[in-house]
Amino acid sequence: MNVLIIEDEKALAQELEIFLTNYNYICEVCFDGASASEKIATNLYDFILIDLGLPDYDGLDLLREAKKMDTEAAFIILTARAEITDRIKGLDLGADDYLPKPFSLLELQSRMQAIIRRKFGVKNNIIELGGFLIDLTNRTISYYNSVVNTITKKEFDLIAYLILHKNRTLTRMQLSEHIWGSVINNDYDSNYIDAHIKNIRKKLNAFAPPDWLETVRGLGYKIKINA
Amino acid sequence: MRLRTKLTLFNAISKLVIVILFVLLVPVLIRNISSNYVDSKLIKQKNKLLQIVKSRGIETYIENGEGYGSYLPLKEEYISLEDVDPDYFSDTIKLGKRSFSEGDTLEYRILSHTFKVKNKNYLLEIGKSVDTLDETSTPLQNIAFQVLLGMILLTILADQFYSNYVLKPLRLIIKTKLVGQKFPNFHSYRKVRTTTTDFEYLDISIHKMMETIADKFHKEREFISNASHELMTPISILQSKIENMFEEEDINDELKVRLLEMQKILNRLKSITKTLLLISQIENEQFLKEDKVSVTDLLQDVYDEISIRLQEKNISYDISVPDNWNFVNINKFLLFNLFFNLINNAIKYNREGGHINITGTAGHDNFMISIADNGIGIDANAMPFIFNRFKKFRQSLQQDSFGLGLPIVKSIAAFHDIEIEVVSEKDAGSTFKLILPATLVVIA
Repeated sequence: MNVLIIEDEKALAQELEIFLTNYNYICEVCFDGASASEKIATNLYDFILIDLGLPDYDGLDLLREAKKMDTEAAFIILTARAEITDRIKGLDLGADDYLPKPFSLLELQSRMQAIIRRKFGVKNNIIELGGFLIDLTNRTISYYNSVVNTITKKEFDLIAYLILHKNRTLTRMQLSEHIWGSVINNDYDSNYIDAHIKNIRKKLNAFAPPDWLETVRGLGYKIKINA
Repeated sequence: MRLRTKLTLFNAISKLVIVILFVLLVPVLIRNISSNYVDSKLIKQKNKLLQIVKSRGIETYIENGEGYGSYLPLKEEYISLEDVDPDYFSDTIKLGKRSFSEGDTLEYRILSHTFKVKNKNYLLEIGKSVDTLDETSTPLQNIAFQVLLGMILLTILADQFYSNYVLKPLRLIIKTKLVGQKFPNFHSYRKVRTTTTDFEYLDISIHKMMETIADKFHKEREFISNASHELMTPISILQSKIENMFEEEDINDELKVRLLEMQKILNRLKSITKTLLLISQIENEQFLKEDKVSVTDLLQDVYDEISIRLQEKNISYDISVPDNWNFVNINKFLLFNLFFNLINNAIKYNREGGHINITGTAGHDNFMISIADNGIGIDANAMPFIFNRFKKFRQSLQQDSFGLGLPIVKSIAAFHDIEIEVVSEKDAGSTFKLILPATLVVIA
């Protein structure tokens, strides 16, 4: 997958590149709108990550321009301008998603995966873990012939996020940001993640011990999947 | 009491006091005036009589040394002339009593004057009854009182009318500039027309002060908005760097724990910045109020988000809001956060095994939703400040709060014209009552 990162903050562009390269994306970076416009005109990308606050361009103009070139790329707007109107405008202009800064890189990857699933109509997205079948598209878990129907929406979100970032330790912070991201929270207490994990384990244990859901002492949680 | 009323009252009372004083003084004044008048009349009569004596001789009145006396039938006036001892001298006007042969004793104002004719000394007395003087003063007093009362009523009316007219600009200033002004959204300046320079000055001063306040307020909001926006990018860079470092192969677990600490602190900075930005966006009215959602659905959404916290503390949670209540003209995201923060507080400042009751009651022209807990309550001293930013009074068990929960609640409530009433008793619990205007709820 080819990704064009348009971000004038060099330090952030660099981190985006490192992160996405680790996830096997092929990245190109632009620091201004003019060179980005040129690159979009000549190359084909699957993803274009676009910062709205560019020194020489209004990001929305660049988006409009790129859309005219009939590109197949998926656009994700990254911005520190969390204005509601910008969000609506961006999505109206055909952006596929909108991530207000500051965002977690894991969240970005999760949104990109969601776009891929949507664009390519991935139907069979079932992961097998220690006898459990986890269907990410239909959001169900089953153990052989029985459906595990006690798992709540939040609990499934946690499992799905850990699977998406498999073999990587996710901190409680990253997990709570994912499942409570929309709540403007007065506190930054992420201990409730532990309670959720405890519940998930208890519910799955009724069928089989979910050893694949690991606690990484002092850091967080991880789901190990051997490729 | 209003200025106009005070002025009118003062005018009326002061005038009444003056009139009463005057009316009380009338008898004294009249006595004074009439005695002067009587005296001058007596002197005139004396002069006339002396004139007659001079031209026609003393014999006109006195023959054979017999004294002359004359009075009116009712004895209101009398004149007497007699010869007296050559050494006797008198020239006075004073009050005195005289008795007549019939036995009457009357009080007179008496002029006594001695004069000499042909080596003989004569005493002339002219008297005027005092009773006739006193009789005039009572009717005069009455008339004076009536006339003055009439005049007073007239002046009070005039005063009332004039003060009404002259104070009109002041009333306008109060009505249009002060009453019903919603801080900080002042109306644009419209000059109040007046010829009174004091009011002109007052008007322009109030306007300038409001302009300054509005300007400062606007600048503060702009600053918070800009500052939080500007902080977003550096926070984003730091967050990305920490996240990437986490995956570096040569970072051992000890370093990872420290990175996690950094992430926690960064998260705190992020939450504060995001919250401040949210508050400034609400205050700048950047949200739409076009959503419609069932009250119980919204509360259920909050419950879904928060159930893990209730479960952790073993708190029972009871919603008794009519199923047919629907929020309209609201922002769902904001109201969700309002309830989330209130219920989250009710959990945070609660005890193990406590309970939370959410009750909806319809009022006369409004709706009330109250969130009651039986937790640790709020100290009475802290009560006036609980909605202030960054104030933390209730020491929660976990120190992970930064005191912006209730300020968010307050901003969201104000944005929707929702009133909040808080009742709390230390160690017994708190109740947050949301009073919603009828425009926000429909029953369907």
